Amino acid sequence: MVTTNDLKEKIIDGLGLEDIEIDEIEDNMALFGDDGLGLDSVDAIELTLILEKEFGVKVTNMEESSSIFATPNTLVAYINEYKEANK
Amino acid sequence: MKIYDMDKKEYVEIQKFQNPSTKVEQLSDALYCFKNDIFDVIYDKSQPSLVKYINSLDQGMLKQDGFQFLYFTSGTTGTPTGVYKTKQNSLKQSQALIKTFNGKKFNRVVTTVPFVHIYGVDIGGVVPMDLDIDVWTKENFLPQELAVEAQVEGTLVVTTPVFIKALNRIKKDVKFTNTLFLTSTAPLPLQDAKEFHEHYDASVMQLFASTETGLMAYKTDDEEILKTYDGISIGEDSGMLNISSPLVTQKTINEGVLKDVVQPFQTEDIVEILNEKKFKLLGRSSNLAKIAGKRVSTQQIENLVESIDGIEAVLIKIRKDDRALKDEILDVYVQGDIELKAKELREILKENFGSIHIPFKIHNHKQILRSSVGKKIGFE
Repeated sequence: MVTTNDLKEKIIDGLGLEDIEIDEIEDNMALFGDDGLGLDSVDAIELTLILEKEFGVKVTNMEESSSIFATPNTLVAYINEYKEANK
Repeated sequence: MKIYDMDKKEYVEIQKFQNPSTKVEQLSDALYCFKNDIFDVIYDKSQPSLVKYINSLDQGMLKQDGFQFLYFTSGTTGTPTGVYKTKQNSLKQSQALIKTFNGKKFNRVVTTVPFVHIYGVDIGGVVPMDLDIDVWTKENFLPQELAVEAQVEGTLVVTTPVFIKALNRIKKDVKFTNTLFLTSTAPLPLQDAKEFHEHYDASVMQLFASTETGLMAYKTDDEEILKTYDGISIGEDSGMLNISSPLVTQKTINEGVLKDVVQPFQTEDIVEILNEKKFKLLGRSSNLAKIAGKRVSTQQIENLVESIDGIEAVLIKIRKDDRALKDEILDVYVQGDIELKAKELREILKENFGSIHIPFKIHNHKQILRSSVGKKIGFE
């Protein structure tokens, strides 16, 4: 099972968020937009690449990604459901 | 020529939009203005400091006779630069670019770029209009989605290094043999161009350009030498490129003042000129970072941070990481009685640059070193 801390570590490393610690990212924090972590559309692309490389999870269209990438919680839930379904 | 909205899965006629907010609306509005000789001001309205600056200008000064568009882009000192372009600038540019296709025919353009700067409007909009082929676009692309579209024969892709690098990383088992990729806004590292060409059996053409100069030169795949477009003359001054060209702007707004542009136009690109049509790009001397292709003035950020009580001086250096999608990271060196916190800097960047997330690393407790004339030259 992937945890939110596993995910946060990969996000921090993968996006080069050098000044952010894992515990600064709350599980229900918005990843995108003005409130929350403030990631942008290029980070969204990087996130899909991280998901594929680090967790073996594919996201193939942007419409799907907007709900999946809402918060660390939603993203971890998607990762674990995907891995379960593709065992 | 029509616009295909890939999100709504419908064609859109070119029409006027009063306050265009989506990519399709922005493109449609820009092309409507172009076709009907309506002057327009084009800039990224998601950047609060840019909006504020433009609104502070004498609005009566903005419209200048004989010009089609006024683009605003970040200037080196931090104050945005307004750049005027004529219809002829765009049409001549389009013809110069099409000539480099060597007769290859396309039946559509797929573009990932937004239409709030010259690359999107001119290359993503005017070129397909000139070729009378449709433009396909959507609000946000994933590289996987672009890969699907690029497999369609006869596609011309207008994109940026972010997508070329991302496609290299996913290494899809497909070929884009009959598709041409155009990339601009930032250099594409040689290794990425080579990898892309070899893996996808596709040509990627890098367009070397700026808002002020329009297209200057190009190179294809793993070529290292840039070749100038027809009609462009190059020179150098202290190792920095200057150009004479029918595509260069004739007027700019600098520090709020309207100025005529004299040619040759001096750039801040460090080059090695090989002959009258060929040169190598060695670097950039300015204080402008390119974060995912967007210009960000480091001097502007330094000024903003230095306005915080307790911060005496800030020096920002641009660090390159060619493998990252955002390949320029800001190292922020701070001198002062207090520590600059990441959260504080993120707020400042958000307030001024809006939606773009700028990667940085803060180094507190530094002593900023200055030259004899007060220019910041380093730190210890």
